Amino acid sequence: MIKVEGVSKEFVNAKKYPGLKGAVKGLFSNEKERKLAVNDISFEIADGEMVGYIGGNGAGKSTTIKMMTGIIVPTSGIIEVDGIVPYKNRMQNAQNIGVVFGQRTQLWWNLPLGETFTILKEIYKVNDKDFKKRMKFLNEVLDLGKFMNNTVRTLSLGQRMRADLAASLLHNPKTLYLDEPTIGLDLVVKDKIRNAIKEINAKYHSKVILTTHDLTDIEEICHRILIIDKGTIIYDGTLENIKDKYGKTRMISVDLHDISVVKKINFNKIFNVSKKDFNYQIDGKTVTFIINKDKVSVSAVLSNLMGKTDVKDIRIKETDIGDIVKQIYIAGI
Amino acid sequence: MKKKKKKRKVKTNRLHVYTPFGKSVIKDSLAYKGSFYLFVICKVLSVFITYYLWRAIFSSSDNSELGGFNQVEILTYVFMSFVCSNMVYISMTTKIGENVVDGSIAINLIKPISYKSKLFAESIGEMIYKFIVPSVFVWIGLEVYKYVILDEFSLSGIRIALFLLSSMLSFIIYFLFEFCFGMIAFYSTYVWGMEIIKNSVLSFLTGQIIPLTFFPDFAQKLFNYLPFSSMNYVPVMIYLGKISSSELIFSIERQILWILILELISIALWRRVVKRISILGG
Repeated sequence: MIKVEGVSKEFVNAKKYPGLKGAVKGLFSNEKERKLAVNDISFEIADGEMVGYIGGNGAGKSTTIKMMTGIIVPTSGIIEVDGIVPYKNRMQNAQNIGVVFGQRTQLWWNLPLGETFTILKEIYKVNDKDFKKRMKFLNEVLDLGKFMNNTVRTLSLGQRMRADLAASLLHNPKTLYLDEPTIGLDLVVKDKIRNAIKEINAKYHSKVILTTHDLTDIEEICHRILIIDKGTIIYDGTLENIKDKYGKTRMISVDLHDISVVKKINFNKIFNVSKKDFNYQIDGKTVTFIINKDKVSVSAVLSNLMGKTDVKDIRIKETDIGDIVKQIYIAGI
Repeated sequence: MKKKKKKRKVKTNRLHVYTPFGKSVIKDSLAYKGSFYLFVICKVLSVFITYYLWRAIFSSSDNSELGGFNQVEILTYVFMSFVCSNMVYISMTTKIGENVVDGSIAINLIKPISYKSKLFAESIGEMIYKFIVPSVFVWIGLEVYKYVILDEFSLSGIRIALFLLSSMLSFIIYFLFEFCFGMIAFYSTYVWGMEIIKNSVLSFLTGQIIPLTFFPDFAQKLFNYLPFSSMNYVPVMIYLGKISSSELIFSIERQILWILILELISIALWRRVVKRISILGG
């Protein structure tokens, strides 16, 4: 189980000023700039849980992950991963975790991939029998065989990422931290990685903490999501919940023969709703209505139009998780 | 109780965990041969330049001895200095700096391995490689030259063994010094400039350019209290037979003392630094 209690992390940097003049000024000033990257966050993650950790760029996702893996020390608060305080017993904690940083590799650049696994086998003290068994399993789910003898630097991004994931799983970690594991990958490789994560979770009951900007990852893998914004957790709950709460919006795009009729109808008065629940945008011959489905029914909107002009085409779009998260990033919860 | 014991075991350094890192450095060096040989040629060339400079000094001087060295001894000093420093001076500052700047230190920290031990294993790998290319060949070349052309041979097995022992101690001192120095990277991020300054200061203080006996008395006394003379000067002087037996034990003891001191400093520094690590580059 992972326990995070009231954790904050503050980074202190030398203050920089803009421009050449500023650079010179910076040489003589000793001012410090404090930035609160993570502000008093708390959550718990149970064994076997798969949690999506999402937030905009610079929201504090990676900082949290780095504190949980024991690389950086929190300014205040307590973190415990399976009873171990990661930043105090880094080595001990490292034995139980697997980490993938999508943006950098943990493989040895100049060595053949196969050798990386033999080194990891030594580092994590995996015995021969387990090693063979796990390599076979990883080979099956991640399809590593073809490039096992290639030097790491010659691997493509997709191959490297699969290898990285395999490398983080060799010692059968109780906790798996995945920091953007599908960044820059094509759809086929993304699918392979997602399936591998799901299979491993099902087989070994390990916890998975996943950060990503690709929300399909989250929809496919995670049951629970944490949304962090400006260092604070603004949502902790199931994916369904957030969809219920924010997924009431429907977008109806209608292609009309005569677009001018839309302006003549006072929808807000007819439906007796505010702009928040009913709004539209006109683009050429297409009008897009954005409605709250609890307040205004789709059929009512359409029937109001049908009698006035020819309707050529209708498309109705449900808000997907991407739109919801975008809405939250911009407007807050 | 039993559980606790098991946990503690993880911490113990297991040698075979780190050997692959040493090996991988040797493999890396072989992978980038071209640049390495160019580097070696440059270095060997600079040794010859130093030597010819000394020859010019000797030929313009009336004395056959300068600073307690005759011409054959200075030849030995210059070349053995190269042999020793080439394999002993393995710069970790740049490596640590790189790890900090590109954030790859994170990768080292998520594994149950000690960063310092890993660097040490890599240093050993590099040392072995540099001992073979070209230190050992320069060494043999020097002795062959001395034997065939100058008709001088004064080597003994014990002296070679003592030289190698002292060089190994130098290697450890240098590694620990570099590790401590490299910690600056965590504060200043870029260490390139510091590295340049450090290298030029070191080439003086270690006696790599001029034997320390050429310095004035007070400076020599000061050097005795610094770790630098233990890095290169001591093994080379042992090889030359210029350190008498009583002094010899003292010199080696001093090397060991420096290892202990620097080890303690490095542990203390690492503890401080680990707390303020921030990973650059996301």
